[in-house]
Amino acid sequence: METGIRLGLTLAQIGAVMVAVLLTVALLTLLERKVLGWMQDRMGPMEVGPYGILQPVADGLKLFFKEDIIPAGANKFMFSMAPILSLVPALIGFAVIPFGPDWTIDVGGVDFKPFVITDINIGVLYILAFASIGAYGIILGGWSSNSKYSLLGGLRSAAQLISYELNVGLSIVGVLLLSSSLSLVTITNAQAGGFWNWYFFAWGSFPQAIAFMVFMISSIAETNRTPFDLPEAESELVAGFFTEYSGMRFAFFFLAEYGNMILVSCVATVLFFGGWHAPLEILQGPEWMHGITGIIWFAGKVAFFLFLFFWIRATLPRLRYDQLMRFGWKVLLPIALGNIVVTAIVEYMFPT
Amino acid sequence: MNLKEWIKTLTFYELLLGMKATMSHLLNYKPITLQYPHEKKQLPSNYRGMLALLRYDDGTEKCVGCDLCEAACPSRVIRVISAEVPEEPAKRYSKEYYMDMTRCLFCGLCVDACPVDALGMTQEYEWAVYDKRQLQLNKQQLLAIGDRNFPVREKRLEYQHPNVAYFNVGFKGIPQKDAE
Repeated sequence: METGIRLGLTLAQIGAVMVAVLLTVALLTLLERKVLGWMQDRMGPMEVGPYGILQPVADGLKLFFKEDIIPAGANKFMFSMAPILSLVPALIGFAVIPFGPDWTIDVGGVDFKPFVITDINIGVLYILAFASIGAYGIILGGWSSNSKYSLLGGLRSAAQLISYELNVGLSIVGVLLLSSSLSLVTITNAQAGGFWNWYFFAWGSFPQAIAFMVFMISSIAETNRTPFDLPEAESELVAGFFTEYSGMRFAFFFLAEYGNMILVSCVATVLFFGGWHAPLEILQGPEWMHGITGIIWFAGKVAFFLFLFFWIRATLPRLRYDQLMRFGWKVLLPIALGNIVVTAIVEYMFPT
Repeated sequence: MNLKEWIKTLTFYELLLGMKATMSHLLNYKPITLQYPHEKKQLPSNYRGMLALLRYDDGTEKCVGCDLCEAACPSRVIRVISAEVPEEPAKRYSKEYYMDMTRCLFCGLCVDACPVDALGMTQEYEWAVYDKRQLQLNKQQLLAIGDRNFPVREKRLEYQHPNVAYFNVGFKGIPQKDAE
C-alpha cells in the first residue's frame, strides 16, 4: 500500500516534470528562431498559425512522419542507440532539480516532497555523471553513421565535451565548499534570505561570480551551442554528428540538445542564483504562497538563462578548434582551479 | 597588454558590446522581411519580366516576322518562322514564333531590336513550373501574355501617321490622304 502510493506519486511527479520539460523544449524551438530572427531584423517563422506560434507542432508532425533512414554501412545497433543515449541523460537530470520550496507533505503515511522528484545527497555529482554519459550518445552517433562528417563531428565533440566537462566540475567546487553539501535542495536552502546570499554574490564569503562565468561558458560548450557548436558546425561539417540522422532519431538529438540547455540553466539557477528564492524576502510572499512564487521565480531565472543562450548565439561567431581547446585548458581551467583555492582559503579564514 | 586592455578582457567588454548591439536590434524591432506570397513588392515601371507579343487595337499582330529579335538575342531564346500574310503579298508576319524561356536572361535586347514594337516586357515574374517544357512558349501563349498585361493597345501603324500609309501598299482599306 505504502509502496503503491509512493510509486504513484513519484510517477505522477515524473510525468508532470517530463511534460513541463518537453513543452518547454517545444516552446524553445520556436522562441529560439523568433528571438534570433528579431535580433537579426527578421521575423522568424510566420506561416504556421498566427505569427507562427504553431511551428513546433508542424515541426513535430513532420519529424514524426519522416522516413527513418539508416545509411548503408552504418552500425545499426549503435546508430539506433545513440539518440536514446543522448536524450535519456538530458531528461534524467531533472530528477534532482528542486524547482520549489523544500516542503514535505504527508500523503497517506508517505513523506512526499512536491517540488523535487528525489532529493539524493549527491545531486550535483549525479547531474555531472549523466551529462558525461550524454557525450557517449554524440560520439557513438558520429562514429556509427559511417560518414566522414559525422565522424569528424563526433571526434570534435569527444574532445570538447571532455575538456569542458572538467571546467564545469571544477567551477562548481567553489559552491560545494560554501554549502558543504552535494544535495541541490540543501544548496538552495543555504541561499535563502535575499539576493546577497546567492552564491553568485555570497555576502560574507568569496563571491562565486568568477566560478559562474566559467560555469556558464563551459556549459555553453557542453551543450554544443554557438559559439562552441563545433561538433555540428553547419558551415564545415553539414550537421556534424547528426548529419545522417532523420525523422524521430534526429528529433531525439534535437530534444537532447534543448533538454540539456534547460538542465544547464536549471543547474546554474540552483547553484548560483538561489533556485526558487526571490531576490528579496518581500517578493516571495507569505509562507503558504512559496509554492507558487517559488516556481515563478525559478522559471523566471531559468528563462533568463535560456534567453542568454539565444542572445549569445545571435551575437558571437563560432570559435576555431584550436582556440576552443586553448581557451578551455589554458584559460578556464586555471581560473576554475584558482577559484577553488581562493574560496577554500577565504572559507577557512572566515567560516560562515 | 596594458592595464586598460586587461580590464576590458576581464569584464568581457567586447562581448558585452556585441550583445548590446544585438539587444538594441531586438528592442527596436524593425523587420525588413517582405512576407512574399502574402505581400508583394511594388515593381519599378521599367521592370524586365516575362516577354510578350503585342497586338494593335484592332487585334492584328504587330509582329512582321523580320527575325531581328532572333538575331539580337544573345541566348538564342527566340525562333521565328516568317511568312507572307495570306491575301496581302506585300506584308509579312510570323507564322510561328517560339520562345524557350528556360534560357532567357531578360536582357531586353529583343525588345530594343524590334522595329515595330511587337515585343514587350511585362511585370510577370511568377513563372515557376513543375515541368521545364511548360516554359517553351509558342505564339498563342506569348500573345495571351501580351493581351493580359497590355490592355491599352496602339493604333495600327498606318493610322498613327498618314504618311506611313503610303508604304503599306498591299494593305486593304488604306486611309486616304486628304486630297489637296
